[in-house]
Amino acid sequence: MLLLPAIIILLAVVLIPLLLSFYSSFTPYKLTRPESLYKWIGEYNYVKLAGDVNFWLAFGRTVLLLTIALNLEMLLGLGIALLVNRVTWGQRGLRTIMMFPMMFSPILVGFQFKFIFNDNVGLVNNALQSLGISDQAIPWLVDGKLAMFSIIFAEVWMSTSIFAILILAGLFAIPKDPLEAAKVDGCTPWQSFRHITLPFLMPFIYIALAIRSLDVARAYDIVKIMTNGGPARRTELLWTLIGRTGYVDAKMGLANAMGYASIILAVFFTVYFFRKLSSARATLGFDT
Amino acid sequence: MNINQQHRLKRYFFKGGHLFLLFIAMSIICLPGLWIVLNSFRPTVEIMAKPPVWIPNSLSLEHYRAMFGSVGQGGIPVGRYFMNSLVISLTSTIIAMLVAIAGGYAFARYRFRGKSVIFVTFMLTRAVPGVALSLPLFIVFAKLGIIDTHFGLILVYVAMNVPFSIWLIDGFFRQVPKELAEAAEIDGCTRWQAFWKVEFPVAKAGIASAAIFAFLTSWNEYALASQLTRSVFSKTMPVGLLDFTSEFTINWGGMCALAVLMIIPALILTFIVQKHLISGLTFGGIKG
Repeated sequence: MLLLPAIIILLAVVLIPLLLSFYSSFTPYKLTRPESLYKWIGEYNYVKLAGDVNFWLAFGRTVLLLTIALNLEMLLGLGIALLVNRVTWGQRGLRTIMMFPMMFSPILVGFQFKFIFNDNVGLVNNALQSLGISDQAIPWLVDGKLAMFSIIFAEVWMSTSIFAILILAGLFAIPKDPLEAAKVDGCTPWQSFRHITLPFLMPFIYIALAIRSLDVARAYDIVKIMTNGGPARRTELLWTLIGRTGYVDAKMGLANAMGYASIILAVFFTVYFFRKLSSARATLGFDT
Repeated sequence: MNINQQHRLKRYFFKGGHLFLLFIAMSIICLPGLWIVLNSFRPTVEIMAKPPVWIPNSLSLEHYRAMFGSVGQGGIPVGRYFMNSLVISLTSTIIAMLVAIAGGYAFARYRFRGKSVIFVTFMLTRAVPGVALSLPLFIVFAKLGIIDTHFGLILVYVAMNVPFSIWLIDGFFRQVPKELAEAAEIDGCTRWQAFWKVEFPVAKAGIASAAIFAFLTSWNEYALASQLTRSVFSKTMPVGLLDFTSEFTINWGGMCALAVLMIIPALILTFIVQKHLISGLTFGGIKG
């Protein structure tokens, strides 16, 4: 009974539109010609996508970006959490600073790094030139590979703090006895980290991953403002491609078919991490 | 003696390295934001200067004045955007909280069939990428005539915030011992009274932090807002940020000023909520 409002609103705003988009992905629907919504063309859009090089490139790039970004965020978050955990004074202040990137809107993060990596007036190039490391402007956002690097940098900057904060919370919660016992038994710091600290932290890492996986498409905002998929589609991700096909080319049917690819991707990440989370929980003996 | 000295040296070395790494990490977290704040106070000439000006010669409120000035002088209707953002975020947060309190309570206190399936389905609706969802919503909203209205966006944000808020609030209600409400019921309270007089006050702080999290999500959202808003009547601040970019030029200073305006409310709210937020996320995940 109490769940009814939540179910109704999610049905109305998420599930029914998704059904509509699923239907329209089987039509040649174009925004400019509304009557095309009623023409059934079967799996034509999907066949077209399967043979579309741009789509597969964008798809691969998205998976690559997510893999690199999530792994880097996890490692850096672990590193920062361990560093902050060892600090003896001013820890509260440091924790507050760590939350800094979390309050930034993704679109703001994108803009901020667009400015910082700007080849003409950006902070990075200004610094490199003033220090004499490089005498010419490095085209951070114009060169395809560098643009991808810049985007990953922005994404990692934005999301590492979630990992760092949750892992830090995990470090606080570790019972001290096993660590002391390990020390008495002559374990090296690395051994006790590897066999005691890390297994205990795993659920916290998976919580962070699960929370992140609910929101992987946030990178859209960053890419949208930093490069908008350019230069020459070098940083085109699945999400920017969907937006372009749907709104700029007005091919809604095709865009919805792509949308389903992105939804499946998101669902895959979410289910995967939530399962990891519950199995990590089970090994630690928390009941569900 | 010699060994002792070696050990001491090694310890100093580690301590120095530790502080150094910490310093680097914190600078990378802080610098981009500070750079934006600094540039919002610098005249455009100085931002564009080559070679770069590192120590600002003069600080001015030029960009802030232009931003709030009339539209003709390069200003954008920031006041309107701010109000739009505020109205939409606040309303959607309040509604989402009511829905999520009911839902979270149901998950924490009752056993019913298909509980975990419903929970996972809720989470999956949150994982749908904004761009993919915006396509069908655009079609539906255009048919209903609620594109470019506050109502449309509020509806979307309520649906977006409900699943995650349920997760958080569920965690907070679980922390309240069941016996507390049962004791109240034995003393003659109805279930409803027991909820309002006993369980709600205990979980209040947690609910407040879930509310702030929901507020920030709506405040920062771009992917959906950019498609579902068209004019000054409903554009939110993240969408307004793009008003500063034209085809070839970007008004960096103006954008920085708006960015600062956007980040201030988020900053304040995050500071208020930080402690509860972390415990909410970890509790919800570990014991959920």
